[in-house]
Amino acid sequence: MPMVLPPTIMGYLLLLFFGRRGPAGAILEKLGIPIIFTWIAAVVASIVVSLPLMYQNCKAALSSVDPQYEKAARTLGVSEGRIFRRITLPLAAPGIVSGVVLSFARALGEFGATLMIAGNIPGRTQTIPLALYNAVEGGRDGEARLLLGVTVVIAFALILVVGLCERRSYAPGLRPQKPTAARRQSMRRHFASKTASSSKGRTT
Amino acid sequence: MILVNFEKELPEFTVCAGFMVEEKSTVVLWGESGSGKTTILSCIAGLASPERGEISIAGESVFSSSRLIDLPPQARGIGFVFQHYALFPHLSALENVAFALPKARKPEARDYLERFGIGRLADRKPATLSGGERQRLALARALATEPRVLLLDEPFSALDRRTKEEMYREFQKLREELTMSVILVSHDRREAELLGECLIEVVDGAALE
Repeated sequence: MPMVLPPTIMGYLLLLFFGRRGPAGAILEKLGIPIIFTWIAAVVASIVVSLPLMYQNCKAALSSVDPQYEKAARTLGVSEGRIFRRITLPLAAPGIVSGVVLSFARALGEFGATLMIAGNIPGRTQTIPLALYNAVEGGRDGEARLLLGVTVVIAFALILVVGLCERRSYAPGLRPQKPTAARRQSMRRHFASKTASSSKGRTT
Repeated sequence: MILVNFEKELPEFTVCAGFMVEEKSTVVLWGESGSGKTTILSCIAGLASPERGEISIAGESVFSSSRLIDLPPQARGIGFVFQHYALFPHLSALENVAFALPKARKPEARDYLERFGIGRLADRKPATLSGGERQRLALARALATEPRVLLLDEPFSALDRRTKEEMYREFQKLREELTMSVILVSHDRREAELLGECLIEVVDGAALE
């Protein structure tokens, strides 16, 4: 649902659910844990909106692990729990980390749902996108540019992490092979001889 | 001794296996690709379940449709070498062998690598090994758990001709040292005759002695 619903609609649904008269809100209110217009609401909005992305990435990462490895581990007498910890999870890890990073990026850019359920209270529930919106509306260009710079730096760092995760993927044929010491030495010899012959050609 | 007598239904045909493997002997299941050889091996290993029949290893029933027994692969005491070896890509050669060993037996992993002549490759990942080295590693990993039966699914099919000949010789030498029964699957008639003491042809899922 959160994947297809507009964020503001999602935020309104959360407001109905966690509001004072909502099913969860009424219970939490009695327990003395108010949610609406607190930082917890901003966290809830970010989780709800980014969770589907995380789920889909994790599912894809786990199902991309070749079942042959798990079968091989079973024939070796290893328990299912250990197979998951030592084989499935490490092989799916790059995809899972990539999912975490992408959903974090989605949560970082969350605007509509956060505004509906957490409001826009500076120092309490104001997130970067909300602060940027406020700065632009208030004509504070310097502050807006600073927030823009911070967001762009974070976005680039996240892209870098996702790229590194994809490089570490164990999908057959996709992982670039590191040359062995012997291969490196033979490559060095090959290039050294090429350089020597080309420089000889230039002098003659 | 291994007793195999089961039926497994596949979309194309019904796999029907009925044979016996004597102690310390090698049986080769030979047949064309898609004839059901790997399915038979998977059923013996517990990676697939037959519809009906019995499978027993060293006198212990590991599958029986009448007595509702179907032991998981972990409890069957088998060693399995897959066609493409299924070596764990994120673990080194040494870790691949040590993976299934209990803590007290972990140091033995290096001995197994030495035994197969790949001791110097202990720290290398499977992706950096040659076909022959990968095959030796897969054998070392399967034998390290001291299985009661060794199942080999076309272990030589991914090798070039020269390496294959070399590996045949090594396998024959190894066979003399091994004390367990071996079931080998192959689509190559010459390979089957060279390595097996008993040859069973598999035609459209039927592997009957």
